[in-house]
Amino acid sequence: MEEVEVGVFLSDCGKQLSKILDFNALTNYVEKISNVTLVKRDSEFWRGEGLQTIVDAVTSGKINRIVVAESLPKLSEVNIVQAVENAGLNPYLVEVIDLKDHCAWPHRETPREATEKAKAMLVAAIERAKLLEPIEKLEFPALKSALVIGGGIAGMQAAVDLADLGFKVNLVEKAPFLGGLAARAGRFFPTDDCAICIQSPASDVKTITHTSRKCVYRSGFSEIPNLNILTNSKVTDVEGGPGNYKVTIEKRPRYVNELKCVRCDLCTPVCPVEVPDEYNAKLKTRKAIYMNIPNVHPPVYVIDDSVCKFRGCAKCVEACPTDAIELDQKSEQVTLNVGSIIVATGFQEFDSSIIKEYHYGDYSDIITHLELARMIDGFGPTGSVIIRPSNRKPAKKIVMIQCVGSRDRRWNAYCSGICCMISLKHAMLVKTAYPNADVTICYIDIRTTGREHERYYERAREMGIKFVKGRPTEILRDPKTNKLIVDVEDALLKRFLELEADLVVLASAMMPAEGTGELAEILGLELDEDGFFKEYNAKLRPTETKLRGIYLCGGATFPKDAPTTSLHAHSAAMKAAKFLTTGKIVKDQRTAIINEEYCGDCEFCPVTCPYGAISLVPTTEEHFVAQVSDLLCEGCGVCVGTCPLNAIELRHSRPNQMLVQMKALMSVNGTSKPLVLAICCSECGHTAVDSSGMAMMQYPANVRVMKVPCTGILQVHQFLEAFKAGAQGVMVVACKSDGCHYEVGSQKAETKVELARTLLKEYGIEPERLVMFGMVFIEGDKFAEAAHVMTERLAKLGPLQMKGEA
Amino acid sequence: MTSYALFLGCTIPARQPNYESSVRKSLSKLGVELVDLPNMTCCAPPPIESINLESSMSIAAYNICLAEEANLDLVTLCSGCFQSLAKTNAMLKADKHLKAKINSILSHTGKKFEGSKEVKHYLQVLVDDISIKRIRQSISKPLHNLKVAAFYGCHALRPSELLKLDDPENPRILDDLIEALGAKSVEYQNKLKCCGGLLRGVSDELALDLAREKLVNTSKAGADCITTLCPFCFIALDIGQIQLRSKLNETYDMPVLHYSELLALSLGIDPEELALDTHKIKIDKVIRKVT
Amino acid sequence: MKHGKEEKTTVLSFSNPVKSRLGGETITRCYQCGTCASSCPVAKINPQFNPREIIKLSLLGEEAEVISSDAVWLCCSCYNCQERCPQKVEIADVIYALRNIAFEEQHSPDIYLEFASALMNNGRLIPISKFLEKKRPDYGLPPLQPTGVEALKKILSAIGLGGQSQKEEAK
Repeated sequence: MEEVEVGVFLSDCGKQLSKILDFNALTNYVEKISNVTLVKRDSEFWRGEGLQTIVDAVTSGKINRIVVAESLPKLSEVNIVQAVENAGLNPYLVEVIDLKDHCAWPHRETPREATEKAKAMLVAAIERAKLLEPIEKLEFPALKSALVIGGGIAGMQAAVDLADLGFKVNLVEKAPFLGGLAARAGRFFPTDDCAICIQSPASDVKTITHTSRKCVYRSGFSEIPNLNILTNSKVTDVEGGPGNYKVTIEKRPRYVNELKCVRCDLCTPVCPVEVPDEYNAKLKTRKAIYMNIPNVHPPVYVIDDSVCKFRGCAKCVEACPTDAIELDQKSEQVTLNVGSIIVATGFQEFDSSIIKEYHYGDYSDIITHLELARMIDGFGPTGSVIIRPSNRKPAKKIVMIQCVGSRDRRWNAYCSGICCMISLKHAMLVKTAYPNADVTICYIDIRTTGREHERYYERAREMGIKFVKGRPTEILRDPKTNKLIVDVEDALLKRFLELEADLVVLASAMMPAEGTGELAEILGLELDEDGFFKEYNAKLRPTETKLRGIYLCGGATFPKDAPTTSLHAHSAAMKAAKFLTTGKIVKDQRTAIINEEYCGDCEFCPVTCPYGAISLVPTTEEHFVAQVSDLLCEGCGVCVGTCPLNAIELRHSRPNQMLVQMKALMSVNGTSKPLVLAICCSECGHTAVDSSGMAMMQYPANVRVMKVPCTGILQVHQFLEAFKAGAQGVMVVACKSDGCHYEVGSQKAETKVELARTLLKEYGIEPERLVMFGMVFIEGDKFAEAAHVMTERLAKLGPLQMKGEA
Repeated sequence: MTSYALFLGCTIPARQPNYESSVRKSLSKLGVELVDLPNMTCCAPPPIESINLESSMSIAAYNICLAEEANLDLVTLCSGCFQSLAKTNAMLKADKHLKAKINSILSHTGKKFEGSKEVKHYLQVLVDDISIKRIRQSISKPLHNLKVAAFYGCHALRPSELLKLDDPENPRILDDLIEALGAKSVEYQNKLKCCGGLLRGVSDELALDLAREKLVNTSKAGADCITTLCPFCFIALDIGQIQLRSKLNETYDMPVLHYSELLALSLGIDPEELALDTHKIKIDKVIRKVT
Repeated sequence: MKHGKEEKTTVLSFSNPVKSRLGGETITRCYQCGTCASSCPVAKINPQFNPREIIKLSLLGEEAEVISSDAVWLCCSCYNCQERCPQKVEIADVIYALRNIAFEEQHSPDIYLEFASALMNNGRLIPISKFLEKKRPDYGLPPLQPTGVEALKKILSAIGLGGQSQKEEAK
């Protein structure tokens, strides 16, 4: 085996650091460490001449391990690693530490102690570097195609984006027609124009002159190259992984041949089956063979097989001049192979009949906004006339009630977010058409937070729409007059009102679309506590999921208005395109590795892995062994911490690497204070230490920082090892448990720390010597304070004594 | 034979022998045994809850412990007792911290709440153990032609999450039981609003205002009588009418009967045995319709 | 912001003790929608009482106004508000918690002192007249069982109410 030769490069940041740290002492110290063959000092090493020094040392073959002490390591590391790789050395043989923010700055008041700590940091980095091993780059082939689930505006927008970019797109919609909730909603705020115009697909790519918005029904949507539309279809199974999903779709029969139907409408008059039209709020009827509205997409009739008499009737078959009706069609299974999946399943209206005191469903003059939207729509069942469903006479007094089933702990605790604007929109549309209509909105809080939205609210007041701050307790019906009575307290006037109404419109909550839970199961995605799809990070990665290759957009993550849905859809399409564009996935093998001999197929790791990267595969008939997918593994190490048999290690953070580091950090004290080991996760924990240093917050130099990928990797015995190595106290510093960058790592670490504290008692060690902290980057002050508190506590406890040393 | 520990409470033995005897006699006729346990106390209803919730809950739990020791489920006649006991029973069963807290208080009495028994209102016994069908078959004097206003009151129904007697917004249990006797249950406005009974003694005026609303609305609906399932509602509406007459010169003359009295009458129990002289508003016209 | 130093605010000085009391736990969920008020049969006929307002005053720390007024005693305990509250504020129980505080601060209507001493002495809120007890056989009713008044006294004194009701008795 090749001799390990470590080059150590010490940056003094333009001599700033040498005012505090004794660089001569550091150089002398480092030079004496075994296998260190080169020590250089300069003002910087991450660019220019300094970086060239490193590159030259590598190319000359003098060194094969590199330790760099450089400020801002999170920025400089990228440059250094890249240069080293270009020079022909594996980039994972480099260790970068920060003598400025982790040592000189926070200990500037105690320069001698700081120098001693710097020695410990350097020897720890060098000992770790000696044990580093090269890590390979892996390449996985990926299909340049996508599946979009859900054909509302979110799914349609995303599908068009990807198709325009040349990817093969399959758009799957469970209903027989595209458009989703948007098409039913008729008009959209804040523009009050029609709901269903989207960016024309042709405009982006083909005809440069054409940049106007296009109605989806005029856009030639179905003619877009690369776009395969499957309506009446449902995803039933997904296998495989990022880049190569095998998707099974159940396509329900339409009974009408899409290629033959010419929309002549000769079939509907002869159909004898008439049923209430749910799509149109049951305000009209439809036939068993039908289209929702005349301008649906695809422009092809469908037969409702729950009511059609089929061969017992077949009148439509006789009437059809193009032989388009095929009553023998059967459900078929379609299999698709795609590289990426976009979930755009949207949301649905809450069933308000559950709220008994509002009598939705009991009294026909109580409707929801989606139903009112149908009345407002010119294509709707009443031709834009606002009526009382009970007697079909014009409705003159209308009361709208906000927050029906939302902001309600009994049903949906969250604010649906869009209902205030929907009510304002509908109130104004009604008032515009019928200036004498009496429209009142009962609200708890009016929420109009978008651009132009507050102006919208003001316009509603200008138009004479009345606002009552109060949530009604009940809707009654006067049995004599059939008028509705809304029983509400105007909380601002502290006055009880009985508002008489011809029509009451409920702003029903918006909830996850039907089948959301089922789809989440199929895809392996998580739902949030309200039942919506959970994104990877709401702030920075709002359309990504923890699963590479699967993206979310639109109402699937939370109810959204049309502008936000569009943004979301374009974002998801962009993310998918970035993923698909090269046709391959390149990934370092910074992953977990299983020691098959030790594996006891206990199922802990496959269940715990937040990314579904571990599966159990059979070896012999009775024995299974865990297997890690290098493609799915994110390298957090939560599995390592979970494995009861020490059968898993991370290639880039092996137990022996951690152990030497731990020992080295404790090998030099240089202060009169008790040594503290702060084990920090590479995300929030380590960056919080950075930020305390950057802000020059002072904490004692006896606190030594060791970085791990995620605290989820830690095992109980490692805490004991830390005490054995000389730590008087151990701090575990991680992301807050609900903000762990690897989902569950912090929670796992908390459990481990709890367990270890109980165990410590057994060894006669005070459990308060081991404490876990959750913090974020900007909480550097919290880290500094924790370091102080811990040091003081240990000073009080006195030196550590282990009872009956095991 | 189905057996229950009877929780009688305070008001019924002190004021309403009519209620007690009609329940005892009807249930016995329908094959349900009621066991009288010693050492029960007040159930600790709203007046005690108003003084101290921990005490009221401990007292309720103490009484449930007596039933647990006798290995019997509890049945109550009074909705106030039902609410206190059933609410406490449900809360302590669901919350182990609260249970531990209450048990530490109960330890002074040598009792420990286990959570092994149910607390029922006697209407639930009628519906669940006997069944509407059997009641219909058992009656000998059906109440045809009688229009009855079912009054549920508050404490049998709410908080529904804990009591689970019936749908709090659209209860049917009493209406169904009335119709099982052959009578007609009439709908009236604000059927589910409070009788005001608990405000008596705190604000008599307010209490009478609430009682009046019930009397006006049931009269308007053409009811022959109001039927109640709680002694407090009974007092509020029965004695309430006497007060409305004497203080405000308002006369309603609306008979108020416990459901058990209607049941006893249609089971053919002799009116003489039912202590009907307890009623302040005479119920002769109801009796006449029955016989 | 310094850690470890919590500033005391007057606003929370009352909602905290209410919240930490049995029955009062849910008070801070209230967002003042008024469903309780429009559900309340008392509020509709007596402007002195409004559950929404009582909660608002409590949350704003107006302890004296809530505890010393008659309003809190006008609740008829019908639980209509609690049943319909969209935030699951246990309003009737919150009112009990407020009454409990008022009782401790000796702001309760006199009838509650009578209730307390009746409970302590008889184990019952309403005494049973000798007349009615004697008449029970005539109605075909079995004799009454003894009341567990001793157990009840033990419970009350364990909670610390024993002395209080005796004091009231002395009045």
